[in-house]
Amino acid sequence: MSSVSVPYAEQPQWADVVPLPQYEGVEPLAPIFYTNEYKDATDYLRGIVKTGEKSQRVLDLTKHIIQLNPAHYTAWQYRYETLLAIKSPLDVELELMDEIAIKHMKTYQVWHHRRLLMTHLLRNTDEASTSSSSRSPSQLASTELTFIARTLAEDAKNYHTWSYRQWLLAFFNDDSLWDRELDFVDSMLNHDIRNNSAWHHRFFVVFQSGVREGEKDRDRILRREFTYVKQNISLAPNNASSWNYLRGILDYNKIPYSRLTSFVQPYTVPHADVPSDLVDLEDPPPSRGAQLPSPGAIEFLADVYEEEGGNSILKATELWKSLASEHDTIRRRYWNSRMKEGLRAIQVKS
Amino acid sequence: MSRLLVPLHVQSIQNLGKSQDELVYHLTAHLRMNAVYWGLTALCIMDHKDALDRQEMIDFVTSCWDDEAGGFGAHPDHDAHLLSTLSAIQILIIQDALDCVDVDRVVKFILSLQQPSGVFAGDRFGEIDTRFLFCAVNALSLLGRLSELDVEKTVGYIVQCRNFDGGFGSSIGAESHAAQVFVCVGALAILDRLDEVDVPTLSWWLAERQLPNGGLNGRPEKLEDVCYSFWVLSAMSILNKVHWIDAEKLTSFILSAQDTDNGGIADRPGDMPDVFHTLFGVAGLSILGYPGLKDLDPVYCMPADLIERMGLRKGWKNLERRTS
Ligand SMILES: [Zn+2]
Repeated sequence: MSSVSVPYAEQPQWADVVPLPQYEGVEPLAPIFYTNEYKDATDYLRGIVKTGEKSQRVLDLTKHIIQLNPAHYTAWQYRYETLLAIKSPLDVELELMDEIAIKHMKTYQVWHHRRLLMTHLLRNTDEASTSSSSRSPSQLASTELTFIARTLAEDAKNYHTWSYRQWLLAFFNDDSLWDRELDFVDSMLNHDIRNNSAWHHRFFVVFQSGVREGEKDRDRILRREFTYVKQNISLAPNNASSWNYLRGILDYNKIPYSRLTSFVQPYTVPHADVPSDLVDLEDPPPSRGAQLPSPGAIEFLADVYEEEGGNSILKATELWKSLASEHDTIRRRYWNSRMKEGLRAIQVKS
Repeated sequence: MSRLLVPLHVQSIQNLGKSQDELVYHLTAHLRMNAVYWGLTALCIMDHKDALDRQEMIDFVTSCWDDEAGGFGAHPDHDAHLLSTLSAIQILIIQDALDCVDVDRVVKFILSLQQPSGVFAGDRFGEIDTRFLFCAVNALSLLGRLSELDVEKTVGYIVQCRNFDGGFGSSIGAESHAAQVFVCVGALAILDRLDEVDVPTLSWWLAERQLPNGGLNGRPEKLEDVCYSFWVLSAMSILNKVHWIDAEKLTSFILSAQDTDNGGIADRPGDMPDVFHTLFGVAGLSILGYPGLKDLDPVYCMPADLIERMGLRKGWKNLERRTS
């Protein structure tokens, strides 16, 4: 943005617009004194909204305001209406907004604007005027996914950006777009194995967005996911996101936790007990130097014992006790209540 | 252990409207109505409701009425929005001044924002989010007009936002986030549909938000932040699980984020305080039973006695108020 801007009042091409100052009626709790540049621009926007003008210069004005204050939703709203009214090509608009989106990615409006543009592009493919090129909607969506990846490289956990990606995939629902998502998740997790947004996205892609062609063999998919999450736990045994992912797979597919007992066990004891040069693809051992035991593993094993019932519940209480007193003391009250519930269950039985 | 600096925080809220020459003040005009609600509620919890002038506040709220839409904007001349409409209703109810609102028109405005999927848009621009769904449910409940809501459709959307970790996201497919968990659980509580919550899984997820330094985060592997004291604790209170939290450590974390010179609470120690984090810090302390504070209703985030008098209290459970 240029640092020196000529006030609209001094620009001849704006002479016909009557600027409307911000309402300053009653003695408010919140009176208004804006910086001059911002006040000048928003006064002209109010003037424009009043007359209902939709033109190229409105696009210039709203862009100026958005750069000053990306949360100014009237500016966004009026900009979108203007784009449609003057049939401005929307793919050009997307590109124009790339820089602003990256700069202000924490502002919701930035993403909502793109959502509106993409929706219009998909619903009006026959309208020659909406797009400047002959790219198909899924090609446009593919470009958009690339752009999203670029913004996530700046802030890998940005909530708006991720939910926009999830929306885009579901909205276009095109196999050629879904196909590349696991590679994308992989690249994000390679960069930061603890990125919960990426783990969530993987679950969304694999389990929550329907079963696509080539994924009908669910047993194969499950084996793939178990291998994937086990390898990640092996690399970082204290990563809450991967343990939650593992539990998510089991719960979602109604598989008993005991299926994983042999994998989990080595993670519940100090490192020295683990034979380390064993290569076991089925049950990869904790990586060298990992901090053990892992509270996530102890909790998991306790759940296995609790599931078994009977005397195994005593084994579970021992594990909960170790979490409460040593490995996860901040949640000691939670573990104590698990212990109480467990013991009560035994008493009821006997 | 340090104390809650009530007089300083009251003063910082009174000073809110007084530094309008700062640019940041103008850039947040779209949150002005919310800010008034945050300040007023924080004052109520600290038992200083009258620290801001009642009539001036009511005049400000009514000056934000958008007569074309039939709702409240965040600021005079701003378009009506659900966020500011809920805040306006909350302020007027706390000030016992709801008679200056055309309730029928507000109800119509709110209902007009429900989408075919069941979620609500924030305004006619169409941003959708479970936050707005909560605003709508909350406002209709406060106005005694829930009977006009399509409850099945509304609950149906929330259920679709439930994730494998028991939490809820901002829209279908989005990641669980503590603030979204609060709005979804709060809406289900108001609608008496908590049966849709996976209580063990979600309660564990909420307990998992506490970090060794006592603070709470909003998602796994993110930094702690004072505002999550409210989002996480309110949901736990609704599920009757606050006693799982290490209250001593969380209390000291919140207190350590106070600005001991100018008042106000920041997102974390050493940062600039603001009225948003001041409210949610004080609200968290109230839920934890901090001595001397008034009870907060965690569902509506308003004074508990007021909600009780309106007959809207749900089965939440805060920690017992300590005497010292
Ligand atoms: Zn915060």
